[in-house]
Amino acid sequence: MAVTERNLQLLAAALALPGVMPSAHAQSAPDKGIFELQYLSYRDWQPGRNRMSVDAPACYALIPLSDTWVVEGGMVYDAMSGASPLYFNVLSGASIGDYRTAGDLKVTKYMGDWAYSVGGFVSSEQDFLSRGGSLNLQFFSDDRNRTWLVGVAGTNDRINATNGVAPNSERNSWEFVVGVTQALTPNDIVQSNLTFYSGHGYYSDPYKPLDTRPSTRDTYAWLTRYNHYFVDADATLKIGYRLLFDSFGDTSNTFEASWAQALPWGFVVTPALRFYTQTSADFYMNPPFPSGFVEGQNYSADTRLASFGAITAGAMVSKTVWDGWNVSLRADYYRQDPDWQVFGSGSPGIQTFSARWFQVNLSKNF
Amino acid sequence: MRLFRQTFRAMAGEHELQLAHHDIAVARRAAAAAIADVKRIEAKYSRYLADSVTSRINAAAGRDAVAIDTETAALLRYAEQCFALSEGLFDITSGVLRRVWDFKADPPRLPTASELASVVQLVGWSRVEWADNAIRLPQAGMEIDFGGIGKEYAADRVATVCLEHGLRHGLVNLSGDVRAIGPQPDGSPWRVGIRHPRAQGAAIAGFDLAAGALATSGDYERYFDVAGTRYCHILNPATGMPVAHWQSVSVVSPLCVVAGSCATIAMLLEDKGAAFLDAQGVQWLGVAADGSLAGPAA
Repeated sequence: MAVTERNLQLLAAALALPGVMPSAHAQSAPDKGIFELQYLSYRDWQPGRNRMSVDAPACYALIPLSDTWVVEGGMVYDAMSGASPLYFNVLSGASIGDYRTAGDLKVTKYMGDWAYSVGGFVSSEQDFLSRGGSLNLQFFSDDRNRTWLVGVAGTNDRINATNGVAPNSERNSWEFVVGVTQALTPNDIVQSNLTFYSGHGYYSDPYKPLDTRPSTRDTYAWLTRYNHYFVDADATLKIGYRLLFDSFGDTSNTFEASWAQALPWGFVVTPALRFYTQTSADFYMNPPFPSGFVEGQNYSADTRLASFGAITAGAMVSKTVWDGWNVSLRADYYRQDPDWQVFGSGSPGIQTFSARWFQVNLSKNF
Repeated sequence: MRLFRQTFRAMAGEHELQLAHHDIAVARRAAAAAIADVKRIEAKYSRYLADSVTSRINAAAGRDAVAIDTETAALLRYAEQCFALSEGLFDITSGVLRRVWDFKADPPRLPTASELASVVQLVGWSRVEWADNAIRLPQAGMEIDFGGIGKEYAADRVATVCLEHGLRHGLVNLSGDVRAIGPQPDGSPWRVGIRHPRAQGAAIAGFDLAAGALATSGDYERYFDVAGTRYCHILNPATGMPVAHWQSVSVVSPLCVVAGSCATIAMLLEDKGAAFLDAQGVQWLGVAADGSLAGPAA
């Protein structure tokens, strides 16, 4: 209809004017830097005993070098102590006292309607060294409301268990990701990613007797997230779902939701809930250990590969303290229970497992 | 949520921002960035500043092409659409007509026919040679100006700057060109009054604005009255004479730049203005020469 066409002509010409409508989304290089300090405290336990604790200070910085170059990187230092996590009571002998140091660095170059990032990371423990690199390409639509992501990452892990099992073991993996992020309205944004991981090498746990896992592993994961900003409530709802198939035989589903509510005086309170459920790996055997073990076949009694469900409930309180500074406190409680498996039945004979996190974060935008 | 108000002067007008945010520092930062952008647009396009883009283009009239950036090209493309949709009446080269219309003259003096003819022959957007990267005015004495677009465009950009700072509630008022960033903090729309064209300080009507923009074009901004006839600053580019059909036209549109140009085009189209606005599908209110109200919002 002529009326509509004429109307659209004027509005379309106006929408071509730069900056008359927000693009909902950062697609040009960030023009602000970020510096962040964080401290994480983790404890887990099973009925009647404390298991592992981790204290991890970390820092992160993002620095725009120019209008089109951005460099970002982080460091984390973990100090772990306690029994090996998520392991059978009857086997919980080995006590862990270990330190991990890890760092990563990524450089991004913005080329107008696309950008590329090159990154590297390294993580080092007494018995484990992991190194890798990544290459990501992002493509931005003309209206800057859509971003396509294509990425590849390669990782090399070297395992030298302190007990001498499987010395100088190694595994190598590739990970490929394809994703899209779409701003539907100024208040709605949806993201969907497909990830394919393929690895080869040593996947067993050298500290768990008889643990023998396949030497190849492929996983397929589909992650979708949706954020909606409620103007009247001044709050953001974030929901997400991930489905993951693992060639080890297990399948997991993750559902999560959080509500970030802005309050007076610069406070933001964010309660969050996550539900996770997984089926067991093909070679996972129920207790009592070592029932089901057959020489020459894959075998694991690691309860991380069992069938269970888990709930994480937490809340974060953050506050803008003064110009550009933000402080946040976060607490999470995790509980894993075989009875909470929803797609099939949970693994029998394993105990519930609980954990909690406290996290303090101080960040500065400059 | 707290309301932060800031008034400021730019583009020869008095403007006001009303911004609501639970962190007043965020609103203050957004206002500072928004005002800086308004002043940037003023410095870039004001015809009163010798080193503005507009002045450089005008100074080269009849001679060289002047290189332009993408923002200027986008504004020219928009002006071209307005020209096409207004049957040539919305013409950004018509500012030369001001040379023979001095609305500050006391006593008022109407231009002579030969004076009008001398400036009308300098008007003509269709003769301007332009592309995405350059523009050339073909005749010495020709001028362009972004007077009918620039302030409304600035109002839209102010809203964007505020949205990008995380604001969701606020009202931008660039001396009567209004754009809502979002509703009032309690969720209710802003109540925006339409100035009475013949009674300064009085409102003739009001619009509820939770989003989008409202702009008004009227015969009361610069004018003189001679023998009971109103001669206003909105001039027909073909005749050089003021329009007379409307005292004012107010338009609501998602964008202030569209609301503003629709209102001006309706003023210029005179008795065909109502049909134009209805065809655009916009909400509008006109005050006719006899003071009666017209339009879907009347």
